[in-house]
Formats: sequence, C-alpha cells, structure tokens
Amino acid sequence: MIVVNTETVPGYRVVRVLGIVQGNVVRAKHVGRDIAASLKNLVGGELKGYTELLTESRRSAMERMLAQAQELRANAVLNVRFSTSAITQGAAELYAYGTAAIVEAEA
Amino acid sequence: MDVIDIIELTLAIAIPVFFLGLGYFAGQWTASRHEADMQSRQPAVAHIWVHDLRPLDATTGQNPPIMLTSEVTLGIDHFRGFLGQLKSLIGGQVASYQNVLDRARREVTLRLQEQAARYGYNAVANLRIDFVDISGTATIKRKASFVSILATGTAYYRNT
Repeated sequence: MIVVNTETVPGYRVVRVLGIVQGNVVRAKHVGRDIAASLKNLVGGELKGYTELLTESRRSAMERMLAQAQELRANAVLNVRFSTSAITQGAAELYAYGTAAIVEAEA
Repeated sequence: MDVIDIIELTLAIAIPVFFLGLGYFAGQWTASRHEADMQSRQPAVAHIWVHDLRPLDATTGQNPPIMLTSEVTLGIDHFRGFLGQLKSLIGGQVASYQNVLDRARREVTLRLQEQAARYGYNAVANLRIDFVDISGTATIKRKASFVSILATGTAYYRNT
C-alpha cells in the first residue's frame, strides 16, 4: 500500500479514485503517565510518555484507515491528513483520513 | 510572631521560590541542551530537501514515495509557565512559550528528515506541522504546560 500526503504519487498514475477512507482513535492518558509527566514538567524538556501516546494513537488511526482502504481493494491512499480534537479534558481524538485510490506505475 | 510563624512564612515563600528557581535553571539547561542536540544532528540530514509543496523534481527510485510522521511533546518548565501566566495579565508576546513551540517544530522537522534519510530518500514534500491538543488542557483549561506537535510529510526521490 502506497500512503502519501500529497495529491499525486511521483512515478505513478492515478487510475481510479475509490473514495474517502478514515480511521479515528480516542485515547485517554493514564494517571501514571500524568504524574511522571508533571514531575518532568517542573524542568521542561521532552515528555516521552506523551510523545509515545501520540505515536500509538496515530499508528492505530492509520491502521484503521488502511484497513478500510484494503476493503476497497485500493493500493494507495492519497492526501492523508490528521486532525485532532480534545473531546473532554484528559481524552483526545486523533482522526486520520485520506483518499483511497488505485494507482499504477508509469511506464 | 513566634518561631513557628517565621518558619511557616519562610516555607510558604521558600518552596514556590525553590520550584521556580529549579524551573528556571533546569529549564534553561534542557533548552540549551536541546538546541545543541539539534545543531549536532542537523549536518547529517542537511541534504534532505524539505518543503511544503507537491513533490518537485521528482524521480522514481527503488521504492514508491512514503508518508512520514513524527511527533514530539515538550514540557514548559515551571518558571516559564509562571512567566507566561504573568505575561498574560498585561498581554504582549510570550517569548518563553514561543521558544518552546519553535524548538518543538524544529525537532519534528528534524525527525522527519532523519526518517527520510534512514529509508534512503533525499526529499520530503508537503510538510504539514500541526499542534495537537493531546490532553484537552490547551483549550479547556487554557493552561498548557506542554505542547505536542505532529508533523507529516511525503518522502520521495528528487532529481539531483
């Protein structure tokens, strides 16, 4: 599966556009991480726990999106975008969407 | 005023001052260390072209283009957080927050370049950098004590 966040894929031709595919994840951070982060936060610097949380959320949102693309028998997802929304305090949604398409290599 | 009062008063002042001081020095230290770290990583990825346009000068390589993502969460130390809150009383630029956001954005861009280099690409197109409200605190409590930045881009081969 070719996944890009551009409208076109260099070296490939879009044969057919199949439609939007999407995946979302709502995650809450857990208290342990919160405590660790608030301690770390006294001095600033990277909060690795939150970075990992974001990485995991992004990965599962992408996986759901790709699963939909596979169902449509697409071989590419174009113009992938992420958007996030804070639903309540302590939980955030990460939403990934893109256009499933069939592409073929240019001769 | 007896001795107990004096001790209480000293503690009431000393503890917040201690944490502010800790934040000030440690914050400055982590910030300068982060700067130095990014400086040292920069030369290794200087050849990776990054832009936010469609893939320009693209050529085909052994792999199709691939989407890259990177994220980072940076904390805003106690002192700078306090300074920011003070600053919000009178308005104006809050340089201490600007610095954290700037470092976070440069960090994610650098990480994208490093990923692109690792996979053997030499350019990243359509760079997008977003602020992520991971905990809901940034908009709901208006008291952000950290910033999360998410970057995406498409790595491709560029004609050189």
